[in-house]
Amino acid sequence: MSSIQHSTFKIQHFLPPILTFALAMAAWESLVRGFDIPLYLLPAPSQVVATFMERPVYLLGIGLATFGNALVGSLIGCGLGCLVAAACVRWPLAADGLVPLSVAASAVPIIALSPLLGIWLGSISPASKVGVVAIMTFFPTLVNVYRGLSSPRADSLLLMRSYAARQRDIFLKLRVPAALPFLFNALRICASLSMIGAVVAEFFGGPQNALGVYIKTQAGILRTAEAWSAIVVACLFGLLFYMAVVAIERRALRWKL
Amino acid sequence: MSDAIIEFDRVSKIYQSGGGPVTALHDVSLSIADGEFIALIGPSGCGKSTLMRLVGDLEQPSAGGLRVRGKTPHQARLDRDYGIVFQSPVLYEWRSIRKNVELPLEIMGQPGPKRHARADELLRLVGLGDFGDAYPHQLSGGMQQRASIARALSFEPAILLMDEPFGALDEITRERMQLELLGIWDGGDQRTTVIFVTHSIPEAVFLADRVVVMSPRPGRVERVVPIDLPRPRSFETREDPRFFALVTEVREGLREH
Repeated sequence: MSSIQHSTFKIQHFLPPILTFALAMAAWESLVRGFDIPLYLLPAPSQVVATFMERPVYLLGIGLATFGNALVGSLIGCGLGCLVAAACVRWPLAADGLVPLSVAASAVPIIALSPLLGIWLGSISPASKVGVVAIMTFFPTLVNVYRGLSSPRADSLLLMRSYAARQRDIFLKLRVPAALPFLFNALRICASLSMIGAVVAEFFGGPQNALGVYIKTQAGILRTAEAWSAIVVACLFGLLFYMAVVAIERRALRWKL
Repeated sequence: MSDAIIEFDRVSKIYQSGGGPVTALHDVSLSIADGEFIALIGPSGCGKSTLMRLVGDLEQPSAGGLRVRGKTPHQARLDRDYGIVFQSPVLYEWRSIRKNVELPLEIMGQPGPKRHARADELLRLVGLGDFGDAYPHQLSGGMQQRASIARALSFEPAILLMDEPFGALDEITRERMQLELLGIWDGGDQRTTVIFVTHSIPEAVFLADRVVVMSPRPGRVERVVPIDLPRPRSFETREDPRFFALVTEVREGLREH
């Protein structure tokens, strides 16, 4: 909720984290130089940036490929999560069985399924990465959206009953709008989860032009600066995904501002 | 009574709770005339809210007969014969004030421009003409409750059910709202029948044509006090010796049992 409280961008809000980031980078840089840490152990930020600048188009390209898996995976996972959540509201018996299980599943490291999905869907094919992301994002979305759809209080529902409202109207005009803040909460969680899922899934195999594969390969031959430059790209796409969700949230939940 | 709009005939309501059955209402007979303003008063647990909710078909009687406009409460609800105002405003926080007032009209299938005009008309009536575009959280408690009354009146129901609507307001706002409510009620071509549940003796006497005094365990009608104060009532009404006499009479009714 706190992320959408400020309706205007103020430099005061951004200065502290930017300064902290700059300080951390400066400390990293001087540590590496001061202690003469070898490149294969830990490259300085300046070396990482220089490595990135050698082939920015390639790195961003493989970043985009991995991000594509994260995006498609979360669209499938979050979409199915919403549908099943709606079904759970309609059929409470399904909710009794599914929701507690999904809460438990949210706490399970689903990424551990990655090698198995490789067996089932092909370790090189993007389907196995998309699958991991879809499973990872499905459970938190189901749990959050179900809570949101069930969030209207008794009086809000009685009001609809007093109008002799149809089930469809109760769902669309009460439950769905009440669930939106919960949905965006889930989407923000899923934006971070999906990038993790997509990159880590590629550690277990994938096409050559993919972030996870690149990071693993480069790290394997101790080309640490190359690995780091790809990690930076992963961070970049993860951040962009998250910020895009927050931007949509700000528009959709304008009434909260 | 032939012109009765609401007719309770030996109505009882029994809840099944963990500690056995609890009788919320016992053998209540009451006839309410068309256009009458009825106040229901009594201590907590006397079943006054239950009585109101039976009229609204939000709960079902365990025994006895209840007719609303000559129909079952269920049919009356389907015919949208009543509007309801709760103790909390129960506004949908994601809708502007105007959209909240439009909600019942929307559900009843009125076209956009028509319900828009109707909502603005009602907002002016309750003194919120300038706040149609505001969101509920931007308004004070009193203003929110005004919007909630406007919403209940928007589809011109024959009956208005009010469940302690001013219970959460401060004394000063409360007395002003009572006067405004009477102004709206008196102002129309045809008086709406009102059932007004309250904890406050002066409020009941000031507003009503008849005060129904109820007693708890089991909830039943203790006595009915006709209020012969002239209308329109004003701030001076509360200083009338007759007002004090009636307040005393209601208070004594509450003390018996």
